[in-house]
Amino acid sequence: MPAFRPPADADSPAPLGPRGPFPQARLSQALDRRWLHYAFLSRDGRHGMVANASWLGPDADDPQGEPRYTTILLLHERGKPWVASQFNAEISAPPWSAFRQPHALHSPQPLHIQSTAGAPAVRLQLRRTGLPCTSQCAPFAGDQHLRWQSEAGVRAVGDWCLGGVGSPDGVGGVGGVGGSDGSGGSGGSGGSGGLGGHWQRDVDAVGYHERVRGRWGWPALGEWVFGFANDLGGSADAPPEYAAVFTFIRPVAPADASTASVMLWHRGHLRRHFPRRNVSFAVRGQLARNDVQMVPALSRLFGVPPMAPIPKRLVISARLGADWTVLDFEAEAAARVIIPSENSLRPFSVHEVIGPCLLRGELSGRAFAIETRGIVEFAGGAGGP
Amino acid sequence: MALDGNGAGVGAGLSAGAAAASASAAALLMATVQAVASRAPAVIASAAQALGTVRLALHFGDGSQAALWAVHSRLVVQAAAIAVPGVQVHFDDRALKLLFDADRQPVDAVWAGSLDVRGERPDVLATWRCFGVLAQRASGLRAVQALWCAYRDRHPARWAESVLTPAAAPPAAGTRRAPAHWPALDYLDQRHPLDAEPLAQASRSLWDGRRAAGWGDHAGLFDDDLQETMQRMKRKVVDEILRLLPRRSPRAELYDLMRDYVVREGKGLRPTLTIATCMALGGAADAAVRAAGALELFHNGFLVHDDIADESTHRRGKPTLHTSHGVGLAVNAGDGMNLFAVDLVLSNLPTRGLAGTLGLIHEVMHMCRETVEGQAIELGWIRRNVVPRRDGDYRRMSLKKTGWYTCISPCRIGAVCAGVTDPALLDRFNDCFRLIGIAFQIQDDVLNLVGETDQYGKEALGDLLEGKRTVMMIHLFRHASVALRQRMTALNALPRSHKTQAHAQEMLAAMQQAGSIDYAVALADKLAHQGVKHFEHDLGFIENNPAKAVLRQIAHYVTTRAL
Repeated sequence: MPAFRPPADADSPAPLGPRGPFPQARLSQALDRRWLHYAFLSRDGRHGMVANASWLGPDADDPQGEPRYTTILLLHERGKPWVASQFNAEISAPPWSAFRQPHALHSPQPLHIQSTAGAPAVRLQLRRTGLPCTSQCAPFAGDQHLRWQSEAGVRAVGDWCLGGVGSPDGVGGVGGVGGSDGSGGSGGSGGSGGLGGHWQRDVDAVGYHERVRGRWGWPALGEWVFGFANDLGGSADAPPEYAAVFTFIRPVAPADASTASVMLWHRGHLRRHFPRRNVSFAVRGQLARNDVQMVPALSRLFGVPPMAPIPKRLVISARLGADWTVLDFEAEAAARVIIPSENSLRPFSVHEVIGPCLLRGELSGRAFAIETRGIVEFAGGAGGP
Repeated sequence: MALDGNGAGVGAGLSAGAAAASASAAALLMATVQAVASRAPAVIASAAQALGTVRLALHFGDGSQAALWAVHSRLVVQAAAIAVPGVQVHFDDRALKLLFDADRQPVDAVWAGSLDVRGERPDVLATWRCFGVLAQRASGLRAVQALWCAYRDRHPARWAESVLTPAAAPPAAGTRRAPAHWPALDYLDQRHPLDAEPLAQASRSLWDGRRAAGWGDHAGLFDDDLQETMQRMKRKVVDEILRLLPRRSPRAELYDLMRDYVVREGKGLRPTLTIATCMALGGAADAAVRAAGALELFHNGFLVHDDIADESTHRRGKPTLHTSHGVGLAVNAGDGMNLFAVDLVLSNLPTRGLAGTLGLIHEVMHMCRETVEGQAIELGWIRRNVVPRRDGDYRRMSLKKTGWYTCISPCRIGAVCAGVTDPALLDRFNDCFRLIGIAFQIQDDVLNLVGETDQYGKEALGDLLEGKRTVMMIHLFRHASVALRQRMTALNALPRSHKTQAHAQEMLAAMQQAGSIDYAVALADKLAHQGVKHFEHDLGFIENNPAKAVLRQIAHYVTTRAL
C-alpha cells in the first residue's frame, strides 16, 4: 500500500461518452463536491462495510488551490462495535467505479482501502452484475444541488480486517483495537475490535456503488435518508434477484425542494423508478442509544452536538400503475459519522444504519418477497447552538 | 368559596372537577381557570397581566354569578358577586361556548347580544384582552375540553347547533388511519401496531408524496398541557433509569428500594427542565435523558439522606425510606442512588464523547457541592438553634440547598447535552432560575404550612416539627416580641421526637398573627416575577421554539402556583 496521497484520477480524461451530468470539470468552489460511495453487506449477514472517497473544492481563501480529499472506511461485524478509520484512509488509485472506470459486467476490478494505521482495511475484487439507474438531481438553496447515480448488485469478494494491523498474508499483524491514528471501535460496548488483527478471508458481499457530484453546504442541505437492499441469496455469479435503492432529501429551503425516489432492480436491470409523488416514507420508534456509536474515534473529543434519535423502523412504499413495493427496514446498529463542516464550526452527522429488512412487492404481475439486510443513511444535524 | 389560579379548594381529579364544574356556569368558569392554571401557567399569567387591576362581575345565563380578578400572576375566581366591580359581564350560554369551547375560535366570533361587557373603556378593553387570551390559548387543552363536555352533557338543552364546521377527529394512536394513497404509514400501523411496542412512539410520515418532515423531529413529546409534558418527560427518564438499574441481588435490600423511590409520584420538573433546555438549544431529547436520569437519582439520594437528617416521616405521599426500611438500609440506598447517578453520567461517554461527558461531570459536581453546602448551612442553624435575621441568609442557603439542583443545574446540564460549552451562555440560566428556584422553595415551605397533605405529598407542618429555618420563621423572629421569640426558640430547641402537632400549631398561629405567611407569599411572588423578567431578557439568545415555550411555562408555573 503506498503512502497516503489523493488518487490521481481527478484530471484523467473521460474515456467514454459525453461529459453528462458528472463532468470531469475542476472543482472550483469551496463547496463543490465529488464522491464515490461504496456499501456492502456480506451474504452471510455478518459483516457490513461503508466507504466514501470525497473530493472537495479548494479552500475559499485559496480559489486556485488544490481540491481537498478525504476517504473514510467503516466496517461492522454483527454484535460488535463499528471499526472506522479517520478521514485519511488510503484507497487504491484510481478508485474503483463503474461510472468513472467503465468496464464489462462480471469483470473483477480491485478496490483496496485501509486506515493509515493499517486497520480497518479491505482488499476487494468488485464485479458489476447490473446496470446503474439514471442520474437524479436535487436543487435547493439557490445554486446548491446534489446529483447522484447508483448501481445496485455490485459483488465484492475479498479480505476484511476489522481490528489490529496486519496483512492478508498474516505478516506484520499487531493485535489490539484500532490503530495508531486513533481509529478503531468505540468503547461503548466493549473494546473488542472484531477479529483481533486477523484478516477475514474471502468475504462474499453484495452492495451498491454511487457517485455524487454537487455543490452544497451542510446546513442548507438539511437532511436525507438514503439506502439500499440487495437480495443476498441466489448464485454468487448472478445479479441479485431483486434490489432496491431509495432516497429522500429534505433541504432546509425552499419548502418544495424535498424529493424522494425508489428504484427497483430485477436481475441486474433497473425495472422501475418510482417518482417522488408515488413514494412514501414513514418511521417509528428510535434505536437504543447503546446501539449508536460515534466515529471516527477522535471525533468524540470535539464536543459534538447530539443528534436526533435514529428511527428504529423505516418503511418505504411506492406504487406505479400495478407495480408496487414495500421496504420494511429495522435498525440494528448505527455508526454516527461526524463530518467536519467546510464553512462553519458545526459538524454534520451521517448515521450509517445496518439492519434486517423485508422487501416485497409486485413487478410486472409477479409478486416477490425477500428477507435480507440493508444499509440506510440517516443524515442531518448541522444544527446545534 | 374563592379559588386562585390553581384552585386550592377543588380536588385534583379531573373527573371530580368535571362533575363539580357541571353544577353551574360559574362553577364551570372556576374549574376552567383552575385547570388552565395548573396545565398552562403562562396562559393564566398572560391573562392576568391583560386584566391588570380590573375586577369583573360575571353574570351567566343560568343565573349563577362569579367575580374574577388578578392577583400578581394568578386569576382569582369567586362564586359570588362583588360590591364594586370595574366591569360587568353578562354571558349567555352561546357566548360561553364560543369563549372556551369553540375550537380555538377568536373571541370576536361571539354573537352580538350574547355577550355584554360594560364598564370604563380601558377596563372593557382589558377584559376583552383577558378573554381573548383565555379563549384562544386555553381552549385547546384537553382538560378544559373535558370540563366543557361534562357541562354540555349535563345541560344539553342550553346548546344550540354548532355554527362551526366540526373538525375531523384525529385517529387514536395505533388505530388504522383512513386509507391513504401511498400507505407507508398505514403499513407501519398495521404491521407493527403500537400496542405491540408499548414504549415506542407513534409512527409518523417523513414523506407522503407531497409533504416532508424531518426524521429527527420530536413531534409528540411536547403538549400544550404542562402537566402532561412534565409527566411524559418524567416517564421517559424513569423508564431509562429502571432499564439501567441492575436486576440482581440484593434486590429487597437495595435495588427494590431504589426502584420504589424512583417511581414515586413527582412533578417531573427537573427532567422537563433538562430535556426542554437541551431541545430548545437544538439538541435531541434522547441526548439529555441519561443526564436527567442522573439528576433524578442524585435528587432522590439527597432526599433519602435529607429525610433521615430531618427525621421526616413522609415523602411524595408515602412513608420515607428510613421509616419503612430502617436508617441503615435507607442510608445505603441513598448512597447507591448517588453512585448510580455517577454511573449514569458516565454512560454518556460513548454517545456524548469525552469533552461532552466531562462538561456534564463538571456541572454535576458543582451542583452536588452547592447542595451539600446548603444542607450544611441549614443543619448548622438547626444544630446551633439560631434563626438568621436577614432574608438574604435564607436566600443564600436556599439557593445552595435547592436552587441549583432544582432549577439552575437541570437547565445548564440540558444545555451541555445540546453541546453548549461557552460558560457565558451557560451562566445565562443562572439569574432567572436562581430567582425562580428560591421562589419555588419559599412556596414549597408555605405549602407545608397551609397546603393539604394529599396535594403536597409531605408531612403536614413537617417543616415546623423539623425546625426548618424558612422565610416565615425568619420573618416571625424578626418581628416577634422578646417573649414570643424566646418561646419559639425554646420550641425549636426541642428534639423532633418531643415536638407535637400542638407545638407546630402554636408556631403556625404565631406566624399567621405576625403576617409571616403573607410576607413569604409576597416575597415569592416578587422573586418569581423577577425571575420571569430575567428569563425573557437573559434567554433571548434562544429562539422561540416549542421547547423554549415549555421552559417559559415552567417559569410561570411558579408565579401561578396554588398557595
